[in-house]
Amino acid sequence: MRMAIRKSSILPAWIAALVALLVCTIIVSCSVAAPTNDPHIMDVSTAHTAFMPGYARDVDVNGIGFDPMAILEDFDNGKVSTLPDGRTLREYWIVSEIMIVEVAPGVFYEAWTYNGRVPGPTIRATEGDMLRIYFTNATMHPHTMHFHGIHPGAMDGVFEPVLPGASFVYEFEAAPVGVHPYHCHIMPLASHISRGLYGTFIVDPKGGRPQVDREMVMVMSGIDLDFDNANDLYAVNFIPFYYDKHPIQIFIGERLRIYLVNMLEFDAVNSFHLHANFFDYYPTGTSLVPAEYTDTISQVQAQRGILEFSYQFPGKYMFHAHKTEFAELGWTGIFEVREKP
Amino acid sequence: MKTVILFLIPLALLGGVIALFILTGGAGLDDKPAAPVESIDFERIQLHEGSITLTIRNTGQEPVNIGYIAIRDLVAEYTVRPSGGIPRMGAATVTLAYPWVEGEAYEILLFTANAIPFTTSIEAATETLPISLSTLLGFTLIGLYVGVLPVFLGIFWLPALRRLGPKAFTWLMALTIGLLIFLGIDAIAEALEKAGELGSPFQGPGLIGIGAISAFMLLDALSKRRAMANCDEVSTNERIALRISMGIGLHNLGEGLAIGSAFMLGEANLGMFFVIGFILQNITEGLGIIAPLVKQKPSLKYLGLLGLLGGGPAIVGTWLGGLVTLPALSVVFLALGAGAVLEVAFEIGKFIAKKSSTLPLTICSGVIFGMGLLYLTGFLIK
Repeated sequence: MRMAIRKSSILPAWIAALVALLVCTIIVSCSVAAPTNDPHIMDVSTAHTAFMPGYARDVDVNGIGFDPMAILEDFDNGKVSTLPDGRTLREYWIVSEIMIVEVAPGVFYEAWTYNGRVPGPTIRATEGDMLRIYFTNATMHPHTMHFHGIHPGAMDGVFEPVLPGASFVYEFEAAPVGVHPYHCHIMPLASHISRGLYGTFIVDPKGGRPQVDREMVMVMSGIDLDFDNANDLYAVNFIPFYYDKHPIQIFIGERLRIYLVNMLEFDAVNSFHLHANFFDYYPTGTSLVPAEYTDTISQVQAQRGILEFSYQFPGKYMFHAHKTEFAELGWTGIFEVREKP
Repeated sequence: MKTVILFLIPLALLGGVIALFILTGGAGLDDKPAAPVESIDFERIQLHEGSITLTIRNTGQEPVNIGYIAIRDLVAEYTVRPSGGIPRMGAATVTLAYPWVEGEAYEILLFTANAIPFTTSIEAATETLPISLSTLLGFTLIGLYVGVLPVFLGIFWLPALRRLGPKAFTWLMALTIGLLIFLGIDAIAEALEKAGELGSPFQGPGLIGIGAISAFMLLDALSKRRAMANCDEVSTNERIALRISMGIGLHNLGEGLAIGSAFMLGEANLGMFFVIGFILQNITEGLGIIAPLVKQKPSLKYLGLLGLLGGGPAIVGTWLGGLVTLPALSVVFLALGAGAVLEVAFEIGKFIAKKSSTLPLTICSGVIFGMGLLYLTGFLIK
């Protein structure tokens, strides 16, 4: 027996090596990985506020490069003049340009924009007005402006690519009444649209729609950060969670009109749901008679409509896609309703 | 002195070439990729009520900043420590606030600031065990059941085997070779699988090569030194038994490692059936250890040592697997185990080689039976 033990004299070395390995690995792992049982982690779980999706940090106007709050109520009525035949002429100047937009805290996305904002300028006119849109392409890819509406084929922005540095004048009559999208129509279309080349085109009826207190434009879209033809983030007016972090301030009794356009690529259907309220819905805005009184509508790409509502009670009310996946990936906003001072 | 200078000349020239390369701005070869090439390894996921903690490592070339994290298509708030960018090869812990539900699966999508996505998933969410005395005790118990006890149970076959003749002895040794080869293949396969999850700077396959070859060469060198000292058959047999148990011990260390990390994540399939399967498979390891000793009378103490050496590392393995977060380390351990068991198989092969001319079928059937035995018992645990 003694013999046997002696012969196994490499045993202690063996055991020592194992112990040394164990000690070394524990030391190494402790120095690289932070401790696990940390009071800091507990903060998160014991928070008494409601669990909400979103970024811990905010993206601000400087990082975004444009102000999503201003975009809401920014209508471009064009430079107005009168033609010899007495009709109103409206002229608009649009430049397509590349812009680096902070779409999530610290995450920058190369957006393709009309006039340095997504969605592009809200072009507004009255039925029968003559429109002249001077479009210049300041990017390194060909682009166009394709308006939904009624116009000649040569003004459709499909077969006349505007090359980098070139210009084109779109000239047509504003028709029909309603809310319409415009967007780039260069192939591959999904890339050009999802990058941000779209906007809203509003045609008011002669004499205008009935008076409301405030009008807003909301364009629903997504962002495909990694170019895999699937959206990673969703939003109204391009910046995910923007109106969630910065609630839209409104007053009790104020009548709101929202021009809602869906420009979402890659996903089939988008939706809009208003909390604790119902709205009159005018699909495409072509009629002045609401088609529906509801709190949720759906839109496929390029479908659009007008919503009208007012709030009776103070409080914070969410509005979001009722495809909750989209909502939790950024398509969420809040109306903060207060007493009129 | 002259030698030193001669050695330094190429190095000096190299310095000159590098300087030239830098001065000429990379000679036109410094093309930046259109999108940054980033790489992140998820090393560990821990779940506590209302939060999920990820340990991530930057295995790319440049520092990485985290953009946002979506868990199951929901953008979740998170904190990261240390804050700021993660340097190359650096690690960070990211804690997500998320009300996960026991038993559900989660896909986590991390976007870096450069909009490069990385994903990891939780197969079935469950509270991560705290590192406490009772957890360690639990690990010890698992190691005991799947490692130490089966090996000892196998050793209890010794009295029965002793009644067998010399032909049976040779057959048993061949069987042990089969067992060891199978364990070696298994360990290499597992190491390769784990190496695939490592970031490129870890050079997983190279790591496996270093681990396996160094275990093999070291054991081989040790055996040659011993062989020069004693060469009677009794001591040779005992030496081989010892080395078999060492090889199996290293292998069990790797096995324990896998069980420990799975157990910590709540992913271990440690049902009764699984544990019984492990006992059955590892019993054959005990059999392998005592095979060379059939013809002699080893002391109980010596047998005990052999059993501890073969099975004990399973306990150490479960601790390591549970406590340590470095996947590269499990690759090294698995490779060491593979090298060790293959070396021992090689050694036994040399030992019984002289009998192969008289008993070719015995040896052949023994090896195949040994491999088949592990394959069949493997059904219970895979």
